[in-house]
Amino acid sequence: MDIAITGLRRSFGRVTALRGVDLTVRGGMYGLLGGNGAGKTTLMRIMAGVIAPGAGQVRIGGYDLTTRSGRRQVQRRLGYVPQDLGLYPDLSPREFLDYVALLKGLDDSAARRRQVEELLDVVGLTGVAGRRMKGFSGGQRRRVGIAQALLGDPALLIVDEPTAGLDPEERIRFRTLLAGLAGQRTVLLSTHIVEDVAQTCHETAVLAAGQVIYSGSVADLTRAAEGTTWQMSSAGAPPIEGVVVSAVARETGTQFRVISPARPSPDATSVAPTLEDGYLALMQRHSSTAVG
Amino acid sequence: MSGVRETLAVCRYEFRMQIRKRSLWITIALLAGSLAAGRFGMGPRYAPASPGAPAREVMTRWAFLFSVILPIAFGMALADRLLRDRRLRTAELLASMPPGSGGRLTGTFLGSVTATGAPALAAMLVAAGYETVRRGDPMMIPWGLAAFAAVLAPALVFVAGYALVCPLVLTAPLFRVLFVGYWFWGNLLLPATLPTPTGSLLTPIGSYAASWLLGTPVLHAGIPGPLSFLRPEPTGSAAAGSIALLVVAGLIPLLAAGLLRGRWRTA
Ligand SMILES: Nc1ncnc2c1ncn2[C@@H]1O[C@H](COP(=O)(O)OP(=O)(O)OP(=O)(O)O)[C@@H](O)[C@H]1O
Ligand SMILES: [Mg+2]
Repeated sequence: MDIAITGLRRSFGRVTALRGVDLTVRGGMYGLLGGNGAGKTTLMRIMAGVIAPGAGQVRIGGYDLTTRSGRRQVQRRLGYVPQDLGLYPDLSPREFLDYVALLKGLDDSAARRRQVEELLDVVGLTGVAGRRMKGFSGGQRRRVGIAQALLGDPALLIVDEPTAGLDPEERIRFRTLLAGLAGQRTVLLSTHIVEDVAQTCHETAVLAAGQVIYSGSVADLTRAAEGTTWQMSSAGAPPIEGVVVSAVARETGTQFRVISPARPSPDATSVAPTLEDGYLALMQRHSSTAVG
Repeated sequence: MSGVRETLAVCRYEFRMQIRKRSLWITIALLAGSLAAGRFGMGPRYAPASPGAPAREVMTRWAFLFSVILPIAFGMALADRLLRDRRLRTAELLASMPPGSGGRLTGTFLGSVTATGAPALAAMLVAAGYETVRRGDPMMIPWGLAAFAAVLAPALVFVAGYALVCPLVLTAPLFRVLFVGYWFWGNLLLPATLPTPTGSLLTPIGSYAASWLLGTPVLHAGIPGPLSFLRPEPTGSAAAGSIALLVVAGLIPLLAAGLLRGRWRTA
């Protein structure tokens, strides 16, 4: 499903969460990056029809999200994993999935049961499918969250920080699962973990203070730090110039990775950037233009 | 209508979650047990002990004995039902699904109310079973069900409307305190002491329905007091009017909540 957003604004009382968002997404897996409070969750809640847009245009698969009927149409084709997903402690994953499936309109009970069992298997919950969800671990809750989103084979998946708080293996399993689903669907993934986007998305957008400051290919965002990513050694003090990406203590001194427009020290060598470097270079440029 | 199926789905699962509340079953069992054991001047012990006592009278006495206190437990058990989706953070996910807030509200009402009534119905059936054995009258169970429908069910619907909606504004603990206060003031306190709706058509304790079933005024039905137009003679039509009024009055807060919620979404 194509997403076309123009001039989207939304405030909560005096806080303006989105100040004129323009975004176009054309299928596949799409990453949404941005710092805390940038507006990612607000944008996703609007796309999921949970809250109404303030001003601007939001069209998903041709449906207008500013109308009630448009929202309903999108919600029939949507799988949504909220950032802060709540579960009913008294229900088992099997019951919860059955409930969500009914709400999504999967009325044929045999087909519904089959799909629930299939998804329990996909996310690896078959072993605890009959147990009450009270006391489930963070990872188990996330799995239930993903499974419920996949019910009804939605054309659009919106997942808000699905890998937060997962151990590395589990995180990789999850993002691989999501990437595998992006074949015929649109998967919109928000995250703080730049590496997850680097490994799964071709395209990405970066939000800062309620605006899109970058949208385009992941490769181009990586290139934003080309010629400004440096590696250098220093006896102790970190370099004065630029943003330190990493610092590793060695016997000979500390090795720094730095993003800086100018060579931070005479012995610094230019290195190939990663997506994280590109993201940081973009944020650095944005904050300096925003201040200056 | 596609909305009906989704409402039924909400109803089904809200029923399931509420009926699993162990505290509900324990509370109703304890209250019903102590009411049955106690003497309150109106219970089944005051029904004629002779084996020929009419089943209608015996079971009505059980129903209104239970209706004195059990509705308090209904209110307590229902007070968290609409707040819960906020507290458990399931509201966000539900809001992203096609059923509108009206369907969810209706489903939650139907499901949680039937589940809340189930232990009370079970208590009535136990009482009816006991009377069947004791008095050897097979009509005890049918009359037990009829008395439940006329006396306890309207009380449940009336209480449910307020118990579901008021906590959204008042918080559940405050609602529970106020509700207990209301119950004793509005149902049991005599108008001679303080102005109160006791004994009127709008008394959820079921004065009119019980009086009509017994054929004699009980629970202060029609006692003089404020709002005298709500205090007719306890006849059959007055009882039917009382039941209808209680059900309608219980649905008013739900309608209000439905309208307000619909508006909040787009605000
Ligand atoms: N319901 C709300 N009421 C008041 N303010 C809100 C509400 N939701 C979001 N905000 C504000 O809007 C801004 C954007 O929040 P949002 O949750 O969209 O950011 P985010 O990018 O998802 O952040 P994070 O990465 O921390 O999840 C923040 O300043 C936040 O405080
Ligand atoms: Mg967020």
